[in-house]
Amino acid sequence: MKIATITKDAWPNAMEKLSKACRLYGPVKKEQFHSFEVLDNGQIPDFNFQNTRISPKFLVQPQSEIMFQCTFDQNREDHHILKEIPKSDSPRTVIGIRPCDADAFLLVKRNFNSQKYKDPFWMGAYESLTLVGLACHQPCTTCFCTSAGSGPFSETGLDILMVDDGDRYLAKIITSKGEDIAAAAGWTEAPEERGLLEKIGEMKEASEKKITTSVATEHLKNKSTIPLYEAAFWEDVSFSCINCGTCTYVCPTCWCFDIQDECFGLTGIRMRNWDSCMYPLFTLHGSGHNPRGTKLHRVRQRFMHKLKYYVDKYNNGIQCVGCGRCISQCPVNIDIRRVCELMNASETP
Amino acid sequence: MTEYTEKIREISKKLLIDKSVDLIIGFRKGTVPMMNEPCFIKHPDEVGRLVWDSHCGINLANYLPNRKERIGILAKGCDSRNIAIHIVENKIKRNQIKIIGIPCRGMLDKRKIASSVSGEIVEAVEDKATVKVSGNGFSTSFDKQEMLQENCKVCKHRNPVIYDELVAEPVPEQQDVDPYEDVRRIEGLSDSEKRKFFEDLISECIRCYACRNACPLCYCPTCFVDESRPQWVGKSIEPTDTLTFHFLRAYHCAGRCTDCGACERACPVGIRVRQFTKKLNKDCFDLYGWEAGLTIDERPPLDTYRPQDPNDFIK
Amino acid sequence: MEQIGIEPGRLQFSWISSAEATKFVDVVKTITEVIRGLGPNQHFVKRLPKVA
Repeated sequence: MKIATITKDAWPNAMEKLSKACRLYGPVKKEQFHSFEVLDNGQIPDFNFQNTRISPKFLVQPQSEIMFQCTFDQNREDHHILKEIPKSDSPRTVIGIRPCDADAFLLVKRNFNSQKYKDPFWMGAYESLTLVGLACHQPCTTCFCTSAGSGPFSETGLDILMVDDGDRYLAKIITSKGEDIAAAAGWTEAPEERGLLEKIGEMKEASEKKITTSVATEHLKNKSTIPLYEAAFWEDVSFSCINCGTCTYVCPTCWCFDIQDECFGLTGIRMRNWDSCMYPLFTLHGSGHNPRGTKLHRVRQRFMHKLKYYVDKYNNGIQCVGCGRCISQCPVNIDIRRVCELMNASETP
Repeated sequence: MTEYTEKIREISKKLLIDKSVDLIIGFRKGTVPMMNEPCFIKHPDEVGRLVWDSHCGINLANYLPNRKERIGILAKGCDSRNIAIHIVENKIKRNQIKIIGIPCRGMLDKRKIASSVSGEIVEAVEDKATVKVSGNGFSTSFDKQEMLQENCKVCKHRNPVIYDELVAEPVPEQQDVDPYEDVRRIEGLSDSEKRKFFEDLISECIRCYACRNACPLCYCPTCFVDESRPQWVGKSIEPTDTLTFHFLRAYHCAGRCTDCGACERACPVGIRVRQFTKKLNKDCFDLYGWEAGLTIDERPPLDTYRPQDPNDFIK
Repeated sequence: MEQIGIEPGRLQFSWISSAEATKFVDVVKTITEVIRGLGPNQHFVKRLPKVA
């Protein structure tokens, strides 16, 4: 466990070196919010943010991603044969990702890298990433990461954890990928490691204390599914929902996608786009029947998936890292904390 | 406008006790600052849940189409116009609803307030003229008039046009506002500048359809973007498809849009989607003298034929 | 459509009854010339999606 220190004066130089070594992504300020963008030529990421509006999941699962291509030109031997599009999985470094978002990748990985199925697109993109996290000193009022299996200084899923220490950054190098990036950026080890580790520990505690909301999840695993499904509170919870899909799109742990074919002239492509369980088309059968035809069905499904089905299937906590984006972005203020409480406390066996 | 809360509760209680309605649709206090959540109540003792303040910008008429119960609904000026449109379009019957009309002084734009301070807002308190927001290490007051939603700034129909009860005396309508000033500015640009303007406008669009879902007018059982046989619009974030979605949706709202701002409010990436619908609203006004939803006794111009309808664009 | 930047003249409307063959021919010829003058449409054209 090595710790490097980088003074803020030396920071621009480090960014320039890194952007030459690999494709570099970091938070950049747009008009009213931050988002992860490519940093060109020593562009400095803007760390003056709590979190980005949309999660960085698009770095691994782009919103629209072409997977296969085929030609309809009968003169070619390979006509009508779908071929994989070569992907550039050259190394990328994401700098300034929050620990909750890094934890989210691990959560989603369970789905895309299971015993039976491995998604080559997702895994290829994920493995090309080195994640340099930025610890949170000032969590949002909507953050509840500590009760959702993550934390403002959480290290799981990160290759380096950076901590802002006034006039310098402390960088805790966690994995060998992290070591490579630290070397490329010219970050040198600090001599007084023990003291720094303690300092990080203190800052971690101070940050965790600032988190004022939490979710209670201890009973979710033991609840019977059907009574929870049929509980009376779903009508009240789902009333205001407008099925807009914002929650699923900003969420770092939502992974559903839809596959579309498009063609132009003699070329066809097969791509996948983000999809949302909030949309009526999501479960529309070819026969015309829709098992989740009403808003209540769909809202219930989302929360049951996140807070019950995932818990049962993977036995590793809820499918949520507490980043709070859905709470602050929902146009009608549906709050997953409230729903989790209703589910956890519901009087079902 | 927090002073309306008591009157709203009083009227709602009366309606529920009388059993004139089966449920009341209103707002309850949100779990984050500057937000309220639409909710319904069915019992008179639940009226304490209802609140009203300057963060009730969501258009409650969105929850009306196809409901079968008798409903009491809170409605500001723009909401009441949308309710009138729903009645004209047969999505709800007039005798099915009791409209609790709310003369509105404008709703606050929470994103504008948030970007005017540095740091997360933890609490927002309003009084008649100002809103005071505070967070970690800061506390600032803003004049409410400076922080109104874009559509509220140019609103000319703040009082409900149709109602069964009013919670307060009507407020004076704004006289000297030009709702189409920005549309005119764009009309004056060259073709390539116009293209650039709209390309930039929707460059952040993530095709989440929050704008469509928040809009009370968008109630089609299957939206054109969800059609697959034939597929009119692609589903990816390809710029041409995205632009098509936006302008085609605007066309479907032509002559019906009341500029309630629900679309802009719902957009997670802050796109000013009203630029599409406002142009069509202006055209409807210029060509037919029509503003949507002001009465339930007339059908909209795109629905009816009058001999004097302008047709100089048809050769 | 002009508001979003389609060149004036590219989109035109005309009422022509099936009995007005001459008018049909005239309108088609005129509009064809106008469009030729504007050139091929470069904007709002969907080809293959330019995505990841």
